[in-house]
Amino acid sequence: MPRSNKKGPYVNEKLEKKVQAEKASGNPRIIKTWSRGSMVSPDMIGLTFAVHNGRKFIPVYVTEHMVGHKLGEFSPTRTFHSHAGGDKKSKMGKR
Amino acid sequence: MPRIAGVDIPLEKRIEVGLTYIYGVGKVISKQILTETNIDVNTKSKDLTDQEVAAIRDLLENKYTVEGDLRKEVQTNIRRLVEIGCYRGIRHRSGLPTRGQKTKSNARTRKGPRGTAIAKKKKAGK
Repeated sequence: MPRSNKKGPYVNEKLEKKVQAEKASGNPRIIKTWSRGSMVSPDMIGLTFAVHNGRKFIPVYVTEHMVGHKLGEFSPTRTFHSHAGGDKKSKMGKR
Repeated sequence: MPRIAGVDIPLEKRIEVGLTYIYGVGKVISKQILTETNIDVNTKSKDLTDQEVAAIRDLLENKYTVEGDLRKEVQTNIRRLVEIGCYRGIRHRSGLPTRGQKTKSNARTRKGPRGTAIAKKKKAGK
């Protein structure tokens, strides 16, 4: 079920504060965050976040199109290594 | 055969059903169109007068996105997801379900026909 409209989009308060601070500083640094559930707001365009994926921080450069998505969507939590069959395929291709 | 929005409407079917042959028009929109143009849902497509066909065509063009335009819109939406590199975009890229369904079994609509071990070898040999 989606979040109620009454509440508005969710942005972690501390993150919001940091965004404002970095924007005001004029020379924004990377913002490290664990808040994967925070919505990307228009204020964040042009900033770079380091979004935690459970193991490490994935750098995310926010563009206009990303507004309305959540930060976690850009930091995949699962690694997929191709199947054994897939490897065979590529080897066969090289021959 | 009346052509509406670039699609042939089958003659022998009720117009309510016939309109759903257009991409982007299902039963709900079909009914909306017919109530707005005051056409009985039970008329056969072949019994439609030219004015009625024109009225439907007019309404479809102005109020709804159908066929090519709709397909284009869907494609641009998908391209946006892929370009921003979000989770759904990644799933689109790898041709897997985007809405959290399981892929351990099933998911054949997205994954396509099952590749058996032998068939894979054949493909790789080409």
